[in-house]
Amino acid sequence: MGLAILLGFFALLTVIGAPVAFALGMAALAAFFYEGLPLMIGFQRIVSGVSTFSLLAIPFFIFAGELMLHGGIAARLIRLASASVGWMRGGLGQVNVFSSMLFGGISGSAVADTSALGSLLIPVMKEKGYDDDYAVNVTVTSSIAGIMIPPSHNMILYVVAAGGGMSVASLFVAGIVPGILMCLLLAFAARTIAIRKNFPTEPFAGLKAIFISFIASIPGLITAIIVVGGALSGVFTVTESGAIGAIYAIVITAVVYRTLSLKDFWVAVVRSVRTTGLVMVLVGCASAFGYMLALYEVPKLLAHALTSLSDNPIVILLLMNLILLVLGMIMDMAALILICTPIFLPVAVGLGMDPIQFGIMLMMNLGLGLCTPPVGGCLFVGCAIGNVPIEKAVKSIWPFYLAILAALMLVTFVPAISLTLPNWINP
Amino acid sequence: MKSTSKKVPLIERVLDALAFAATNLAGAMIVVLVMSFGWLVFGRYVLNDTPTWVEQMAMLLIVGITFLAAAVGIYERTHLSVEMITLVISKKAALFLDVIINLMLATFGFALAWYTNDLMSFTQFQKIPLLGISESYRYLPVVISGGLICIFALYRAYQGLTGLFNPASINQVSGE
Amino acid sequence: EWKGWNIHNPGYPVTTALESFIADVDAKTDGRVAGRVYNGAVLGSQADSIQMLQIGAIQFAEFNLGPIGTIVPEANVVSLPFIFKSVDHMHRVMDGPVGDELSAAMEKHGIKSLAWYDSGARSFYNTEKPIETPADLDGMKFRVMNNELYVGMVEALGGNATPMAYSEIYQSLKTGVVDGAENNWPSYESSNHFEVAGYYSLTEHLILPECVCVSVSAWNQLAAGDQKIVKDAARASAVLQRKLWAERDKSSREKVLASGVAFNEISNKAPFQNAMKVVYEKAFQDNPTLKPLVQKIQSVD
Ligand code: NA
Ligand code: NA
Repeated sequence: MGLAILLGFFALLTVIGAPVAFALGMAALAAFFYEGLPLMIGFQRIVSGVSTFSLLAIPFFIFAGELMLHGGIAARLIRLASASVGWMRGGLGQVNVFSSMLFGGISGSAVADTSALGSLLIPVMKEKGYDDDYAVNVTVTSSIAGIMIPPSHNMILYVVAAGGGMSVASLFVAGIVPGILMCLLLAFAARTIAIRKNFPTEPFAGLKAIFISFIASIPGLITAIIVVGGALSGVFTVTESGAIGAIYAIVITAVVYRTLSLKDFWVAVVRSVRTTGLVMVLVGCASAFGYMLALYEVPKLLAHALTSLSDNPIVILLLMNLILLVLGMIMDMAALILICTPIFLPVAVGLGMDPIQFGIMLMMNLGLGLCTPPVGGCLFVGCAIGNVPIEKAVKSIWPFYLAILAALMLVTFVPAISLTLPNWINP
Repeated sequence: MKSTSKKVPLIERVLDALAFAATNLAGAMIVVLVMSFGWLVFGRYVLNDTPTWVEQMAMLLIVGITFLAAAVGIYERTHLSVEMITLVISKKAALFLDVIINLMLATFGFALAWYTNDLMSFTQFQKIPLLGISESYRYLPVVISGGLICIFALYRAYQGLTGLFNPASINQVSGE
Repeated sequence: EWKGWNIHNPGYPVTTALESFIADVDAKTDGRVAGRVYNGAVLGSQADSIQMLQIGAIQFAEFNLGPIGTIVPEANVVSLPFIFKSVDHMHRVMDGPVGDELSAAMEKHGIKSLAWYDSGARSFYNTEKPIETPADLDGMKFRVMNNELYVGMVEALGGNATPMAYSEIYQSLKTGVVDGAENNWPSYESSNHFEVAGYYSLTEHLILPECVCVSVSAWNQLAAGDQKIVKDAARASAVLQRKLWAERDKSSREKVLASGVAFNEISNKAPFQNAMKVVYEKAFQDNPTLKPLVQKIQSVD
């Protein structure tokens, strides 16, 4: 009964349009009340979920990303992508995917990627004769690179939800190859459509232009090296590397590029505050919700149900992916990571899967959820920027979904894709 | 937000100012947070004397940033929500749901302030290790945030109600 | 049904003993008091769960006395470095009047302590060299738990005290963010820190007792007969836990030594103990109730 109240209340509140974070919090408190648990502890869970050391990297990554964006780094990365792959068939589609891959090394979130690159690229693509739904779709789906390629604050949420003990740095490194693989498959899908629809190409800018734009983007790309390299080499912890990345971003944009005015700086600060608040209050409320799930022993029950359905690991993995995909369609990524990790990770580990590989699979799976209706942060932002109705975008998006699904299946069933790089760097 | 109205009502100017103050306070906190970690790394490597207060202070600051920003998010309607039903029902029905939700949020905000205030008195004599200040400071911004959420959500509910009874103003209220 | 908090995973001595405690209570009270242990800190951190127990959201728990010190100042006495001469000495002290005095202090804060478990002795381990004298710690970065006394201890020994979340230690040792940490044999082994920090020096500077606690509100609802059953069951589980702990301590030690960890005993602990004078004095200044307790502990043979 208590569990029914918890889940039912959450579903009801979400469906009528309450903010997801507060729907989680209110449902948890309703269950606290029903069980006769002191409400004070319910609120303690919410505050304590926020006041968690491992989560500090999240505001740092968000802040560094905002500074880079307002300091003009995104534009430089697009220039590099444009010079490098713009001459290919459906050139701007390739540029879009490649930019996302580069930008993924700076930004930790897919929605930030969509809004940063989308607002620069979608108008240009429309102007050059690309279909508006194509422009939106390629932007939205390739933005998952922001989650897969380090830094990634969703990966930090995963490590926290998994109960620590996993190296964030290893998980970061593990995301690189699957992220690139996914982008290559997306580029292939983008190219196939471009050929059929006869979209234009850009003239080849020459090796010199590639070189110049590369040099201009180096200081931006160094952020990724500071954040990931700093943590890997042991100069900093992951949390510290996030802060040092943000300080570096201030120095590079304000002092070296001189593109960051005091006003821009404060805009970046305020935007970071906003995003941090939205993400972290969700984390806090999800932790109260998770407390009740733990009390009702839901992880144990679901894991048991899942393994009793089949004892074939392939079937269980497919089933897990299917459940996550469906949940990802209707729920927010951060909340799902926090709630689903304790439920599914033990099952996956029981099947012999490495927690790092499971994390990468989870990121890609839920990343796809960001691009699907009815609840898809990236899809919403992309459609808003491109001024395309969601129904129209979704009608022609399936080749991109297929590309991501193909990448997801490879990541699920070929551990080497995720694990080779971290094993090689961290012997 | 309302380009059509000539004069912004007093209540809205006050709430704007509250949201502005909360945002900028949280902004100052995030800058301090980043700088304190810079100092931590500097202390460890250059001074070989790691400042021991950074970690504990950071966990206080993140609570302040999160809850102040979360309250402003209620006012600015920036929290992520699922728009499934609201897209298919009538505008009036959607507005009605919006009023209900905001009343619930106001209740939640009130309870948040109330119970974290209890937590403040409960932890009053408990010291945060290595910081030496009372544990109750962790909950102080949350109490403030709860109060802000309550006020902001009540105002949004009031706006919705005015919209329900005055169909002409519906378009003004429904979007930010 | 009583809800019990436990930080450890299934199979750990504490977990086994705590589960036997509640099963024992269930059987002997004919189900009047039944409960379930939630392992692996799924219900929250120790600091949070202490509050839960005080408020009565959970009914029993197994706590390390270190973090209890932030709430019950008297309990900080066990966090003074080298306060106990040995694990056996700690058992004698805690099972006697000093233990009762600490129980009484905790009870005022809503925590009814029934029996004392063991968590062994904590020693320094590091990535660089064997530690023989305090001078060996000079300039080295040691991770400590969040407590002024532990920070003061490392600083008094000339090291660079670095508070850090437990989950970050492994990676930090591996990559050199810190040079060392300190813990007992079973934690050193189960956390895999021995893989990355191969020098374990038997300083045994901290011997922290743990307690099986019941929330005072749950305790007061029990009939006198049931209270006795619960208390006896807790005592019996402590006997079991100490036995399991000693076995685990030995097997962990054998395991890490077999893996090639360089281990040394400290031939003369006096320089370490003498360096603690400043730590004790500072502690007495901050918290005068500690002084008589220290004298009582030192007078126990
Ligand atoms: Na990223
Ligand atoms: Na893109």
